[in-house]
Amino acid sequence: MTGQAPDPGDRAVEQLATSPVRAEVVVLIEHLSKSFDGRLVLDDVHLKVGRSKIVSIIGQSGGGKTTLLRCVNLLERPDHGLLTVAGETIFSGDRLVCHDLARLRQTVGMVFQRFNLFPHLTAVENVMLAQRRAGVPEQVALERSVQLLRRVGLAHRGVAYPEQLSGGEQQRVAIARALALKPAVLLFDEPTSSLDPESTGEVLRVMRELAEDGMTMILVTHELPFARDVSDWVVFIDGGRIVEEGEPADVLVRPSQLRTKAFLASYAASH
Amino acid sequence: MGPFEVPWSEYTPALWEGLKRTMAFTVASFAGAAVLGLVLALLRLSRLRVLRLPAAVYTELFKNVPLLAIIFLTYFGLASVGIRLGVFEAGCASLIIFYAAYLSEIFRSAIAGVHGGQQEAAEALGLGRISTFAHVVFPQALRLALPGTNTMLVDLLKSTSLLVTISAAELMSEGRLITSATFRALEVYLVIAAIYFALCYPLSQGLLWLERRIRAGIPLSPARRRRLRLARALLAEKGASV
Repeated sequence: MTGQAPDPGDRAVEQLATSPVRAEVVVLIEHLSKSFDGRLVLDDVHLKVGRSKIVSIIGQSGGGKTTLLRCVNLLERPDHGLLTVAGETIFSGDRLVCHDLARLRQTVGMVFQRFNLFPHLTAVENVMLAQRRAGVPEQVALERSVQLLRRVGLAHRGVAYPEQLSGGEQQRVAIARALALKPAVLLFDEPTSSLDPESTGEVLRVMRELAEDGMTMILVTHELPFARDVSDWVVFIDGGRIVEEGEPADVLVRPSQLRTKAFLASYAASH
Repeated sequence: MGPFEVPWSEYTPALWEGLKRTMAFTVASFAGAAVLGLVLALLRLSRLRVLRLPAAVYTELFKNVPLLAIIFLTYFGLASVGIRLGVFEAGCASLIIFYAAYLSEIFRSAIAGVHGGQQEAAEALGLGRISTFAHVVFPQALRLALPGTNTMLVDLLKSTSLLVTISAAELMSEGRLITSATFRALEVYLVIAAIYFALCYPLSQGLLWLERRIRAGIPLSPARRRRLRLARALLAEKGASV
């Protein structure tokens, strides 16, 4: 396990490899561990997400799913392990290798459970902000934002403020915002957990369209039927460890592990 | 003998000078207090104790000392140890020192009141620390801080009248001069009070109006109005073709 920063001679190649189109493995996680106040929340976790693949992470609350997701864009700093994103090593051993946090986060889009739209900006300005900060000219950013809002079906709500939007509409704006910098991978942290069934439907429809367009996605979710429909790979995490993983038809229909069976049974009982 | 006997037309230029001086004290002191207050608020929100502690001591100290004592200390006190400030400098310094303490409390609670998810969402979009503060946290904190800050601005304007004690040539000082020349205290101070009211009432109403507009999401800057107009046109045009 080396996983060090490339030597200077490889830099030109490395630059190209960071483009989302070139990297076949968009996210690679090996031996990742993380603890909060001495409590291990991620224990030797590994994950490999290929281009255009959709990986769902399922499991009980507090099992480490969200922490794993937040390590990918370094909202949480891992304690130990290897993390590469779009072909570039971000974290290795116990060291941060990434020197350009802003660029990493432009490569990785994130959608939050509570939307976290900027309440002082209209929908279209929410989508524009990161582009403007990244140096995209006003007119270009505006046109792209309008396009993205149209893609999530919200062109008619573009100049509304978040508080004037329903939960489902807010989450669709948040998806457009996460797409604004053309990320190589989108992270979804329980995107429908604070939505009513109708809004959940709207958001899942948009996510399904993204999946069909070939977007690479990592999805922490409680929507097991949706995970079964769209995912290429399902990972069941419990107590900070990967208990079971595989094709959705295996993990979600014919799980081999006792704990996975128990989780699915309790899910079935509550839905 | 009617109630109004002071030859006001003679004193109009003096009152006008006093009013201008009052405005100068208000504008300079409020600008200074807002800047110092913001710096203090940021220090108090710092993770480093060495930065937090002095800011907290400053705030607690000057919140609990009367403004008049601060005025006397900066003007007479400092002069007695050889630091002679002019009346305008001493007056502004006193008001800045005093109001920065209050404003820092308002700003601190406003910044802390911005939801933590906002900072996180900005970071996840690749915004750096400064961009995150300038474009996400600060505009939201400003909205939260506006009511308290506006109250403080009007309060500061009224407090400039305490500078009469160091003969700062502002409105109240002019009133005192006119009184000593005419011996018509009731009439003079009624007029002075009316002028303060005529300044403060429109100011506080104007600020309330501004607050309401900002809360209603009406864009204030021409650049933002233009951006939203363009956005509206683009959104409508493309929407029609779908």
